[in-house]
Amino acid sequence: MTEFDEALTAFAAEVGTDGPVCVRGGGTRWSLGGEVAPGTREVQAPEGIVAFEPAEMTVRVRAGTPVAGLHEELAGDGQRTALPERAGGTVGGALMAGESSIACLGLGPVRDVLLQARYVCADGRIASAGAGTVKNVSGFDLCRLLVGSLGTLGLVGEVLLRTFPVGETERWVRLAGTDPGAVRSCYTAASVLWDSTDVWILLSGYAVDVDDDLSRLAALGACEDVDGPPELPPHRWACTPAEAAAFDARNGAAGPFVAEIGVGVVHASQPQPFRPVESGVVELNRRFKERFDPTGRLNPGRDPLRKP
Amino acid sequence: MARTLADATRRVLGSRRRGDRAAAVPGADDTDAALVADLVEAIGADRVRADAAARYLASRDASIYKEGNAGPVCYPGSTSDVVECVKVATRHARAVSPRGAGTGLAGGAAPLGQPVVLSMTRMDRLLEIDLDNGVAWVQPGMVNLDLSRALAPHGVHYAPDPSSQAACTIGGNVANNSGGPHCLAYGVTSAHVLAVEVVMSDASVVTLGDLTAEPAGYDLRGAFVGSEGMCGIATAVAVRLTRNPPAVRTMLLSFDDVSDAATTVSAIIAAGIVPAAIEMMDQRCVTAVEDFAQAGYPRDAAAVLLVEVDGPAGGVAIAGERVADIARRNQAISVRTAADDDERARLWKGRKSAFGAVANVMPDYYLHDTVVPRTRLVEVLERIYEIVDRHDLIVLNVFHAGDGNLHPILAYDSRVPGTGERVQAAGREIIEMSLDMGGALTGEHGIGVEKREYMNRMFSAVDLDQQSRLRASFDPHCRMNPGKVLPSAHSCSDIGALRASDAAGVWG
Amino acid sequence: MHLGLDDDELVACVACGLCLPHCPTFVITGRDTESPRGRIALMRAVQNEGAPVTDDLIRSMETCVQCRGCETACPSAVPFGHLMEGTRAALAGAGRITPRWQRLALRTLRHRRLLLAGSTLLALAIRLRLVPTKRLGLPARMPLRRPPLRTSGDDVWLFTGCVMDAWQRDVHLAVQRVLEAAGAGVEPTGGAAPCCGALHIHAGLEAETKAMARRVMDGLSGDDRPILVDAAGCGASLKDYGHLLGTDEARAFSARVFDVHEWLAERLVELRSRRPVDPLDVTVAVQDPCHLRHVQRAHQAVPAVLAPFVADVVALDDDGLCCGAGGAYSVMEAELSRAIRDRKTAAVARSGATVVASANPGCSLHLAAAGLDVRHPLELVDQALSASRS
Repeated sequence: MTEFDEALTAFAAEVGTDGPVCVRGGGTRWSLGGEVAPGTREVQAPEGIVAFEPAEMTVRVRAGTPVAGLHEELAGDGQRTALPERAGGTVGGALMAGESSIACLGLGPVRDVLLQARYVCADGRIASAGAGTVKNVSGFDLCRLLVGSLGTLGLVGEVLLRTFPVGETERWVRLAGTDPGAVRSCYTAASVLWDSTDVWILLSGYAVDVDDDLSRLAALGACEDVDGPPELPPHRWACTPAEAAAFDARNGAAGPFVAEIGVGVVHASQPQPFRPVESGVVELNRRFKERFDPTGRLNPGRDPLRKP
Repeated sequence: MARTLADATRRVLGSRRRGDRAAAVPGADDTDAALVADLVEAIGADRVRADAAARYLASRDASIYKEGNAGPVCYPGSTSDVVECVKVATRHARAVSPRGAGTGLAGGAAPLGQPVVLSMTRMDRLLEIDLDNGVAWVQPGMVNLDLSRALAPHGVHYAPDPSSQAACTIGGNVANNSGGPHCLAYGVTSAHVLAVEVVMSDASVVTLGDLTAEPAGYDLRGAFVGSEGMCGIATAVAVRLTRNPPAVRTMLLSFDDVSDAATTVSAIIAAGIVPAAIEMMDQRCVTAVEDFAQAGYPRDAAAVLLVEVDGPAGGVAIAGERVADIARRNQAISVRTAADDDERARLWKGRKSAFGAVANVMPDYYLHDTVVPRTRLVEVLERIYEIVDRHDLIVLNVFHAGDGNLHPILAYDSRVPGTGERVQAAGREIIEMSLDMGGALTGEHGIGVEKREYMNRMFSAVDLDQQSRLRASFDPHCRMNPGKVLPSAHSCSDIGALRASDAAGVWG
Repeated sequence: MHLGLDDDELVACVACGLCLPHCPTFVITGRDTESPRGRIALMRAVQNEGAPVTDDLIRSMETCVQCRGCETACPSAVPFGHLMEGTRAALAGAGRITPRWQRLALRTLRHRRLLLAGSTLLALAIRLRLVPTKRLGLPARMPLRRPPLRTSGDDVWLFTGCVMDAWQRDVHLAVQRVLEAAGAGVEPTGGAAPCCGALHIHAGLEAETKAMARRVMDGLSGDDRPILVDAAGCGASLKDYGHLLGTDEARAFSARVFDVHEWLAERLVELRSRRPVDPLDVTVAVQDPCHLRHVQRAHQAVPAVLAPFVADVVALDDDGLCCGAGGAYSVMEAELSRAIRDRKTAAVARSGATVVASANPGCSLHLAAAGLDVRHPLELVDQALSASRS
């Protein structure tokens, strides 16, 4: 058990013990899961990197720290996290939204990035979940529960994240008029995006392997270097990988889209129609909220069941 | 019908002939007879055992904890059998404890308070391979290695590979959030389970998680994995399929000094290389393993590292060379690369039989599973040898060095008076030292009953209160595998289910 | 009840569970009571903790096939076979297992003439359809007449045993021809060594087994010729006399015993150099008898010897899991035995082979009763040799 640092205790004091309260990060996904109830007090999580240990491949960082700034710091040692970079987006915001980077295929999902969380509970006390190591199964897995919870169970102040070495070579390429399934033979593909005609691929790894995959792609069709991924339409659809790969045929209502092949997320022009959730799951969500935040003061109005 | 049922119940409870005193079977009183009759009626006589031998064996796992006390043992064949068992147990105010292959090392499967034990071994089918979604649906009793074997024709595998993978079940892996050597690069069970069908404590059936990347609502799947059977009974699991890597290189690095091996581990990670696995064994362990596996481990080295890199061929060659360079710079006395799949398989067989092979040294062992920052391995190992020497014990070190997950095995002979106390004392010191280094209590074996009372050392009262809320959200009445994980002050106080569990006689 | 088990052997199990997937009864039932680890725990409970010997505990011991597949899987080298034999001896001694009729039946095996005559009667009864062969796991046809055994030299003994000699003498003759083709003069043991005692030790009849072992040793003493065995169960039994009797003489005797494939694998050059051989046009699946694979650990000799004489030898993918025959097990525990066999026949079907080679008569009868074409490996070799001879 550790003493919590000043920034964290100050954050807890600010959150206090009663009254509705919400945390503002970069505001990039502010409306996810519903608008915050009117009259809710707004607080901000502390900011700053506490400790980066490249040889441990972990970084301890405060939740209010912008992801881009964090990654800049980590890049000095050739590392990064699996968190997505959005203009102004914070570490805490990315974790609470729970939406993975478009390079999820290579980096893994956001839900696996959180090793330890120090957060303010509904009663204003600070709890610590997880451990300071890269592996841990001591007790129940509150870290997994917190990711994607939109700050409705606890307000995260400081976290320990897993980091990864950045690939020796990273290249975005575009392949015109290809079946995205054919691209899956590329082992170094960290992202495969498909808009029903073209395929964008992020190759990441040792140069020699990336070159191998490039020649594999070139055999499939016209392949050109591009600066990055295509512009993503604003609405995020939750699909299975099979649904994403067959997206075009089934969803005229989505408008122009970009599908993450092998992952399942589809970025569409129109919002996703409601996907029914089984009643047992709804009931469990209700029980979790009730147990962790009996008075409903944490981020009132938000509900992870209403994502995306 | 009534008569048949009575006959079946008598059969299930065990014969009363030849003075096999019913009284010698604790709990096999009238209450149990009614419970057993209901279980038999619900799922059939051939799926229920309540005799002393069956209950004795269902009371233990592979840990040294021997105080478990099973009620009737059921072998459900379907989700609806599980539902029926939970209903019957609830009607009789009994808890339910699930059980896989019983290879756990922390007493997680040791039932407390004579619950109805659900042995999931009969639900061992592979339900579906869904290559389009990259998942397979399996029943919880399926053996981990059987799953990967069944997947092999499709060029994919199930990545978490605990050392007990030849015997342990997927359900048990889910309960413990099991790890294994290859979790260094691929992640533990939680990262490979997409959805779980669960029978809840109220006998309802709920699917947690789904095949989409980000299911709506809280990550109940993530909260369930690793909950040691206390949040419900998994009856079907959707596991992620991992592509077989195009190339694999397995290297055996030998050292004259344990510290050199440990330094090499930290240096590999610090160089930005994430091998698929980095395993370490010290000399005593190598000797025990080699006696069984004859894998060609060098008996004269003070420590060996088993390092595997995988991925596309080019990168594997580069990473392999870098690892070899780092090892040589750290005084490796030999660097050997497995020539073929056969040699590779033998090396891994040796590593994975290490716990069992300890019996070649001493008849009993007690091990911990703490995790320490991998940059502090040298220091930690020195401390472990010092602690063990001071308590006049023998230690074999074999562990997942790459992620700092220690397995110091204290080998002893429980028949020698006073040894048990020394083993406990040394174990406690190892745990406290690991936690003081910024470590964790357990990396993959779970808390079970064995490490329950250490939870206070790692977590504050507030932390534990949060954990018990997670548990209570799933199971408000503490009916599922009660008495595990949380220290007594934080577990359910309302344990009508946790009846007095005094073991009466050896068949307790 | 003290089971008379060696305490060091009994404590050697650390309950790791690696034996479970290699135990045919656990694989079928999924119950700890039918697993090696569970059985050992129960032995301990009885011997060390004074637990009562209940009928259920006895069932747990009786359902063990004694295949010893757990031994090869055990990293702690627990001698499970010894523990189970010791337990059964104690239980049989207390009259808790092996009923009187079974003891009587086993006693006939020691009396060669009685056995041969009885077998002829049985063969006749089968011809007349007086015996439900399928239900009893008996072969659908048995020889009414047996060609005589003959001696061709004094290089090696060929151990002929009891039931196998009565029911499958053709196999002995084929084996003898193959040995002769490899240049050895063969003397069949016949009445000199009537029965190895394997079934008796399985049934817990320790004293009888010891007497039979002494008789076999007496019959084959006087020289130090290798004793070749074409039945894996008998070979394992003879090789264990050293441990069973614990005398130097018995250990020296056991050292003379070889499985016939083990011996031939060293002499493949001689066997093949006599004349060119056309391999038989069959795909053969090799079934590893447990007493060859787990006890003698000599199973790799079978495909080595067989390969040059058939088109293709395929291995089964079931890790050498027992076929469920287990000597008298297929009769005593018919239901479990058949369930275990079903897994084996499924493995054979997966292999695509049309013929199964089994180096143990018990396995071969048991598998043949499931409708498989089962041959002794050396019958196939003999067939290939004689085809080229003609």
